[in-house]
Amino acid sequence: MSHADARASANNRDMLWVALVPLGLFVGLVWALSSIPLPWQLQLVWVPSLGVGLDWYIDALSAQFLVLIAGIGTMVFIYASGYMEHDANAGRFFILLLLFMTAMVGVVSADHLLVLFLCWELTSLISFFLVGFKHTDEQARASARQALFITLGGGLALLAAFILLAQIAGTWSLQAIIASGPVLLEDPRLPVVLVLLFIGCFTKSAQFPFHFWLPNAMSAPTPASAYLHSATMVKLGIYLLARLDPAFNELLLWEVSLISIGTITAVWAALLALRERDLKRILARSTVSALGTLVLLIGLPNEEAALAVIAFLFAHALYKAPLFFVAGNIDHATGTRNIDHLMGLRRQMPFTTLAAILAGLSMAGLPLSFGYVAKDVVTAAKSGTDLLALVSYGLLFVNGVAVAVAAVAAIRVFWGPANPAFVKVREVSWRMLLPPLLIAIVGLEFEFMPEFTDPLLIDAARVMAPGADIGGLIASHSFGTFATAAEVTLVIGLVLFLFWERLHRYLSGLTRLDRYGPAAMFERMLNGLTRVAAWHTKALQHGNLAGYMRLTLAVLLLLGFGGWLAGETDGSVLWAGLWSGYDQGWALVSAAVLISAGALAAPFLHDRLALLMVIGLVGYGSAVLFLFAGAPDVAFTQFMVETVLVVVAAAVLPHYGAPTRYPEPRLLNAAVALAAGMGTFILLAHMFSLPADRSLAEWFAANSLTEAHGRNVVNVILVDFRALDTFGEIAVVAFSALAAWPLLRTMRKRRSAS
Amino acid sequence: MTSRSLMLEYVSRTAYWLMVLASVWILLRGHNAPGGGFIAGLVAVAATALLAIVYGVDYARRRLPLQPLQLAVAGVLLALISGIPGAWDGNPFLTHQWWSIEVGNNVFKLSTVIMFDVGVFAAVWGAFATYLFALLDDQGEVT
Repeated sequence: MSHADARASANNRDMLWVALVPLGLFVGLVWALSSIPLPWQLQLVWVPSLGVGLDWYIDALSAQFLVLIAGIGTMVFIYASGYMEHDANAGRFFILLLLFMTAMVGVVSADHLLVLFLCWELTSLISFFLVGFKHTDEQARASARQALFITLGGGLALLAAFILLAQIAGTWSLQAIIASGPVLLEDPRLPVVLVLLFIGCFTKSAQFPFHFWLPNAMSAPTPASAYLHSATMVKLGIYLLARLDPAFNELLLWEVSLISIGTITAVWAALLALRERDLKRILARSTVSALGTLVLLIGLPNEEAALAVIAFLFAHALYKAPLFFVAGNIDHATGTRNIDHLMGLRRQMPFTTLAAILAGLSMAGLPLSFGYVAKDVVTAAKSGTDLLALVSYGLLFVNGVAVAVAAVAAIRVFWGPANPAFVKVREVSWRMLLPPLLIAIVGLEFEFMPEFTDPLLIDAARVMAPGADIGGLIASHSFGTFATAAEVTLVIGLVLFLFWERLHRYLSGLTRLDRYGPAAMFERMLNGLTRVAAWHTKALQHGNLAGYMRLTLAVLLLLGFGGWLAGETDGSVLWAGLWSGYDQGWALVSAAVLISAGALAAPFLHDRLALLMVIGLVGYGSAVLFLFAGAPDVAFTQFMVETVLVVVAAAVLPHYGAPTRYPEPRLLNAAVALAAGMGTFILLAHMFSLPADRSLAEWFAANSLTEAHGRNVVNVILVDFRALDTFGEIAVVAFSALAAWPLLRTMRKRRSAS
Repeated sequence: MTSRSLMLEYVSRTAYWLMVLASVWILLRGHNAPGGGFIAGLVAVAATALLAIVYGVDYARRRLPLQPLQLAVAGVLLALISGIPGAWDGNPFLTHQWWSIEVGNNVFKLSTVIMFDVGVFAAVWGAFATYLFALLDDQGEVT
């Protein structure tokens, strides 16, 4: 065993026990749900000075998400303990999963908007780490970056929406905001709030035109894809929209935006699913399609829609997670996810096949599955409203594609002639079989025994449509109009499945999609950003010291002359201001002579040592000025700084050979220097001509000895009154030395090498 | 340094200690007269620079109370610690405390201010000595 292997296996402890955490949460949750009536509330003090408290509010909608987070989470953890068995970084993976679970619980339980936002962004951040988990893979890194930009960017829009909401409603509590009614609806800022809210939710839930990050996020390890990018995190946008639905569902903007974006997303993603060859990406596209359907359903104004959202959301988690597990199993066993190579796996992987069929049944909405019930309710919801015919036909197509995708995942890869390359393929371990089978079977169970889920689902639907008479799945489950719709969907699905190859070839031929689609636009935008950054860095950070000085001085000059133009300049006030307060005229003149001599000599000297001395002259002149202007401490410091600087520079310069010569525009430099000097002069003269506020100076002078026991006011300010500033400054000095030391050492190595 | 000046060598060793002594004096008088930690630190840096130029970096480094980066960090930590007693009493961080100790007829005033100023002094001395050594040194390791 090599050294690296030994280390890998040492790191590679069995992680199955970690699943006890979500399992404990799940058991506790189910127990609490059966014995403590909802809603549960808890308020903890966090940052009282900012009015931010850890306020939690858990109603049936939150509880439904919590059940999914803990329940699917348990299965994901068990699955991951098998999937990551030979991965040296398994520990890191489990830590990320646990953090993610905590953040998710936080989002769906939080009542304070800022707490919700914090957890929301945390999920985006952890998603970034999980997508980029295989960080040696460049594709994974690019996908992680894309997901981060889109979800965190959307999060910023969400923050803006939250702040506006809190301003309008006068509270940070989500429940209070939803209940605030007309105050909210009649505010002129409402459209802005809604658009920002949409951006936040649509980026998170991968709605058009932000949908493309989700399929790319499939570079995450499969357990993370099943958990974050199908069952829980991407549903957060749905969660927030559903929660806010009772406040806004009367608004036309709300209705129209959700229905149109939802439909476009659903249809677009369904189309794109046909272009994919990678099993996980096909599933991801169909997830986006399902999310679009959910957004559309939230937009529907009728009360049945509330139940449809809740039921479909539940059903989707129960069939999509197992299908991801199935894709993971296939990947794990065969090493590929490309459906061109995958066939006839049913002999080698019988249990995976079974799980795929059970989950596929539900996804296709066939009888005997929870998906069937959910689809039934969805159909009922749609028939209850006057939808545009276009939307209805679109959804028919979307459902057809769902059937076809289910067929691909459950039939195509398992039936047919066996691929000779996979002779040695074996079924995966029980840890990777139990989760998909169990979840899929639970999905079936709910069809036969809706009384388990009905109470929770009905209550959750009532959160979305308060006061509505919702009968539950048992009551809504009718075979009337639905039967025909189901048949039509099935037929469409089968046709799509049979013509999959031809459709795929046709759609893949549309290369314009790759060049002009939203994903391409986003990449172009990012590249543009990099180019702009490169351009302006090159323009500003050119490394030419004299160039930096020119720019800085030119800005100073503009400020000075700007002040000249803006202020009413009275020459006599200006001069009087300049001369007031000085009674040592001769000392000033001597200082001025020192400074001017240094400054005038500088343009005519070429030798660096000589230049250094002349500049030192300017510094000493300034020190003399300070000395006679009543600032001995500053003068003292100035003398020391000049001395140390000149001595050190003089000692160091000979070590550094000839400098890199830039073609220096000497005349321009002189002009800029002269003009900047004049600009500064004007600024200062203006400052002196204004009546000075001396209250601060007087306060320090009066309190220095009595409060801080020191007669030197300057030093007392430094070490006592403003000690925190000084502390910050010395920390900066120390850190700059820490940072400069390795840089200078590298330079020295390069110097001694050449 | 290849060409050595005997006079400079002779003077600088004495001058170094005189300057360090002066810097401590400037540091301590700073509360009531011109001076203080920052200026004192600069004087000490000038002393170190003198030694480094005349005798080389290694020699100057050995005369420092600590390695230069350690000195800088120790200074920052000292200033940080000086703020804790005030915060302990429920006042804002860096509220300085004063104690009077009577020995016979003399009253000595002790305070966390001195500690803070010593921290500033050490941070400036150490940080600029780091720069100085890194710039001057051509062979040895600067730490």
